[in-house]
Amino acid sequence: MTGYQHLLLFGSVVVAACFLVVYFWPRILLSVYKRAILVKGFGEGPIPVNTLYTEPQAVFADPLRAAPTSGSNLITTGVNRDTLLMVGWLDLRKGPQVLHVPDMGGRYYSVQLTDPSNNTNFAYVGKRTTGTEAGDYLISGPGWTGSVPQGMTRISSPNNSVLVAGRTLVESDADISAAYALSTQIHLTPLGG
Amino acid sequence: MTNRTYTFLTAVIGVICGFVIIRSFLFADSLTVRNDLVQGFFVGAGLGVVAVEILARIKATRINGWITVFGCGLPSNGIFMRAACARIFPGPVNVPQEAMYWRTGVDGAGHTLSGEHDYILHFPPGGLPPNDAFWSLTMADEKQHFVANPIDRYSLGDRSGLAQNPDGSVDIYLRTATPAGHQSNWLPAPAGRFNLWLRVYLPGAAILHGEYAVPPVVEARPSR
Repeated sequence: MTGYQHLLLFGSVVVAACFLVVYFWPRILLSVYKRAILVKGFGEGPIPVNTLYTEPQAVFADPLRAAPTSGSNLITTGVNRDTLLMVGWLDLRKGPQVLHVPDMGGRYYSVQLTDPSNNTNFAYVGKRTTGTEAGDYLISGPGWTGSVPQGMTRISSPNNSVLVAGRTLVESDADISAAYALSTQIHLTPLGG
Repeated sequence: MTNRTYTFLTAVIGVICGFVIIRSFLFADSLTVRNDLVQGFFVGAGLGVVAVEILARIKATRINGWITVFGCGLPSNGIFMRAACARIFPGPVNVPQEAMYWRTGVDGAGHTLSGEHDYILHFPPGGLPPNDAFWSLTMADEKQHFVANPIDRYSLGDRSGLAQNPDGSVDIYLRTATPAGHQSNWLPAPAGRFNLWLRVYLPGAAILHGEYAVPPVVEARPSR
């Protein structure tokens, strides 16, 4: 091979590898979240797939002294003293999951549904998009063709894996337990389960 | 790892990759196919890291020292926008209609924020961030952790009973020591470098249209 051909080959590989890193960057970032949720947990053991976990009241109330000593610290880095965080990882290959939200009584909350392959949000349940009344939302994976039960709103996910991030506003220190009670009422059940 | 360290490491990777590229031009005739592939892969991956850093700087909006990105988290975003957002907000970032975030590690003059100095964030009358949910200003140390302080206060915002000046403006005091007579508006700073995060949830139209500018952090006594 001539030097020119070597440079052409070398350059092509460089450009391809460069694009791969840029393309996969968000996916690599969220794979850290996947591992934190399903493997490490946040101080109380791993969080099973298709389960939502709300950060403990004590951690929100006193983030420095009550910080979890084991597991991932992703939930406590990011300096958030506004909303109780809720996280979960969905696997929709075995069927849709139903997200149940209680009546939030006008309180700001959001449940953000993120496609972990590219870190974009395909849907929200929450005050901005669905209001604060109680409701049931059917989250289905690609290719699901069943019928949606009456009273449920369907949300189609572009991916069988979904990262769920929930936020419930805390008005004051005295309000933490009320916000926690509401956040833990947001839960998932399998369709028909 | 702090942001500063990360940027430094990225620059080092860029320089090494540049060196390998220039060298391969000089000695192109002595290369082997195996070296083309192996070196090309590593140099490309290194340049990918550098490219994400450059993209983040291109897509970011910097006003008065505050950095944000408009339009993160949207399904219509292309690969460059997605990478830039993931670099600046490392996590599942909200769409702008849900929440906007600004961060800064510098004051309005571009100097690094540090507890060695006293600062004021001055919101003019009617100039608090417009929103339909809440806003907050949160203190973080160099590694984006909460800052220990005697009054256990980590953030200030719409729910913290901020005192107004007679003209309706609001001053937030960013310093290590209590400002006499202004404790309600004191956000305790650490001794060393620090960062500030401004969150606005359900931001108002002025924010979404890019018309709202977060005021600069101003050093209170520049010649101390």
